[in-house]
Amino acid sequence: MSEQEMGIALDMKGVSKRFPGTIAVDDVSFQVYAGEVHALVGENGAGKSTLMKILAGSFNDYTGEIFINKKKVQLHTPFEARRNGIGMVYQELSLARPISIAENLLAGRLPTKRGFVDRKALYAESKHLLAMVGLDIDPWMPVEDISQHEAQLVEIARVLGAQPCILVMDEPTSALSNEEVERLFGLIRNLKKAGIAIVYISHHLPEIFKIADRVTVMRDGKKVATKGISDVSHTEIVQMMVGRSIKEFYNREERQISPEIRFKVSSLTRYGFFNRISFEVKKGEILGICGLSGAGRSELARALVGLDHTDEGTIELDGQQVKSHSMASRVEQGIAYLTEDRKTEGLAFRLPVDDNIMSPIIHRYSKFSVYSKRKGMPAVNSLINELAIYPPDPTRVVGNLSGGNQQKVLLAKWLASSPKVLILDEPTRGVDIGAKTTIHKTIGNLAKDGTSIILISSDLPELVSLSDRVMVMVNGKFTREMKYEECTEESVLLAANGEGGK
Amino acid sequence: MKAAATTMEEKSNEQDLRSTQVSRFGKLVNAVGIYGIALLFIVLGIVLEVTGVIHGFMTIQNMMNIVDAVAILGMVAVGMAFVTYSGSFSDMSVPTTMALTGIIAIQMLQYGFWVAITSALGVGLIIGLINGLAIGKLRVNSMIWTLAMNYVTMGIIRLVWVNKQIYPDMTGASEQSIKMFDDIFRYKVFNAISLPVVVLALMVIAGQFIMSRTVFGAHLKLTGSSRRTAKFSGINVERIVTVAFVISAVAATIGGLTITSLGRVGAWYNGSGYDFKAVTAVVIGGMALSGGRGSIVGVLGGALVMGLMSNIMTLLGIGTFSQDMIRGAIFIIVVGINAKSLRSLGRDDA
Repeated sequence: MSEQEMGIALDMKGVSKRFPGTIAVDDVSFQVYAGEVHALVGENGAGKSTLMKILAGSFNDYTGEIFINKKKVQLHTPFEARRNGIGMVYQELSLARPISIAENLLAGRLPTKRGFVDRKALYAESKHLLAMVGLDIDPWMPVEDISQHEAQLVEIARVLGAQPCILVMDEPTSALSNEEVERLFGLIRNLKKAGIAIVYISHHLPEIFKIADRVTVMRDGKKVATKGISDVSHTEIVQMMVGRSIKEFYNREERQISPEIRFKVSSLTRYGFFNRISFEVKKGEILGICGLSGAGRSELARALVGLDHTDEGTIELDGQQVKSHSMASRVEQGIAYLTEDRKTEGLAFRLPVDDNIMSPIIHRYSKFSVYSKRKGMPAVNSLINELAIYPPDPTRVVGNLSGGNQQKVLLAKWLASSPKVLILDEPTRGVDIGAKTTIHKTIGNLAKDGTSIILISSDLPELVSLSDRVMVMVNGKFTREMKYEECTEESVLLAANGEGGK
Repeated sequence: MKAAATTMEEKSNEQDLRSTQVSRFGKLVNAVGIYGIALLFIVLGIVLEVTGVIHGFMTIQNMMNIVDAVAILGMVAVGMAFVTYSGSFSDMSVPTTMALTGIIAIQMLQYGFWVAITSALGVGLIIGLINGLAIGKLRVNSMIWTLAMNYVTMGIIRLVWVNKQIYPDMTGASEQSIKMFDDIFRYKVFNAISLPVVVLALMVIAGQFIMSRTVFGAHLKLTGSSRRTAKFSGINVERIVTVAFVISAVAATIGGLTITSLGRVGAWYNGSGYDFKAVTAVVIGGMALSGGRGSIVGVLGGALVMGLMSNIMTLLGIGTFSQDMIRGAIFIIVVGINAKSLRSLGRDDA
């Protein structure tokens, strides 16, 4: 049975949305069949989020026509969108953590009996919804006690509870491990069979080839094309996204690694998180650390920079033991840590670019604790240039920049501290290809200039192509070390899943 | 590659341009506008006076009353502003800090004026440290903790001084010490400007400088904007928050000494109401309750508006309770507008 036979579930015709000074969505026509997974791709700022926000009823001033199941609808409020069968699964979970799964699932429509919540019905209904997403957990458990993956599924179950005919998923896999992604895809296939139209937004192209039936590419607010997934190649999609043909993404430059050992960690242990971790990083070397979420990678990074305490083991920088426990003094000694969470840990979204970049090193521009912002500006401006942060305006509030530019600001913040050892935790999570390329190039250049880099990444192509060596971390232990030559996406992935994999 | 990536993102950034400009404009309004509002109140007072609705607004005595009232509120608000700026909302232990430090000063006056002042400041410092360590290190909710602290301090006052009010001349202090204590409020610098006004001016200048120019100020701003980000930037946020509460308590002590000198009496009720009045001054002075935004100069304007408003309401014959009600309503409106305008700028995190 072809999708066409099942009919067009969503038909957006000539839809536009203007913001003052710009058109975010420009005359876009977009069709999704019932029972298909339709991938929507484009760089940050291409207009895909705005298009989906229109669908979610976030704007009351879009132009153009929207048909759902051939009926013309007006989506001016989130309520109208929901009533017309549109379900949105956002990247950020919107569950209330302290309350139970059941209450989260049926929030706003709790079954009642004589004015009281009908606990039995609530239980049965939640059990049913959880079964739909293949979860067999107690609905009375509070959301904070379940894993990220389960929470993501609960979120989907909640949206499914409203019985949508169109389901929009925005980067649903960004926080999931590979195995969890597979399970999610199983669920998506089931939903497809049930005739639900699925719009799937992702930056991760291999995923799209696995799950999508068709793909629509957007660029600069316009639709570039809609193609059947089998009629298009990875490179073609990327070309459509960036509007030009690009060479190999991960272009590895030959680098000389000095034999000098810069950073040495000996049997570092934090009980319950990681155990007897030992490794060395040479001057100008990029050491990749690979592992599934929960393997202890970020915890290790935080301990290295002094954010978390350790129970055993030592850290040496240039042959000197690092004794101080405060992050500030480790930053001064030349250890920097770029967090994986730019939103709540990396940047202050309400402050301008210059304040953010200077924040860890403001004291370096001070005398008697009175600082001069002016003295730091040349460094800030040259970093803005080097990383092509757009707009190149240091007074711009960071929260108003696109995701890719925010990530560049975060990188600039730690580059400004001129680290000897830079620990990067998911340095390109959720950024567009342009920014990603710039960041990769910068990482390469840093290594060339002698900075030692510890790269933690779930993005396997990134990890494999940038790293000189990869350490594999499983359950808080280093289980394997791979030379650059042995690293392929497959070999690393297998190792991360526990030797040999399943 | 770089150039291409740049054009790609141009679009999404252009659409944000407006909101940034609005917020910059908003900042200007926040900093300067509050003085415009103060001016409006003065005009209102003059109009009411000329039309005969109120009497005595334009007298020198009344102007001095306003300035004195503003001075004490301003001192407390300048200190409180550091707590708000640090992202810890407000210091509700201010009223009893003022009362207790005033009582301590009078109690110690027999050992000399400077001993009295030092002891009062010491007690203030301790209260600030306790607040700061609990809120900074243990991450207790600042409102609840300082409110509790307020009751504990009140309990101490009632327990030790058993509802007694103490007067400077009761303690066996020397004539000179008593005179100096009285002068905290009454001394005229160059025979013209009252000492509290000079003290407030110094506090505003110092506060503005600390906030906008020092490393501590920069760290405070980052902590207030995003505590977690500050922590992940290597900033000792516990220490920053602790210092903010110490500043607030010491400023409250200075206010407490002034109000005690004004009444020539140390009593538990000195300073009551200053918690809420100070927060209101801080908020209408343009400081965001969520932290990291605003200025001390703005807060001074907020205190000025509060002073003018109270004065006009008193002259209009509006009772204390009604005044409290009106102040409460204004607080709610300002916080509401603040939240709404931030939300319309797409930043509902504030």
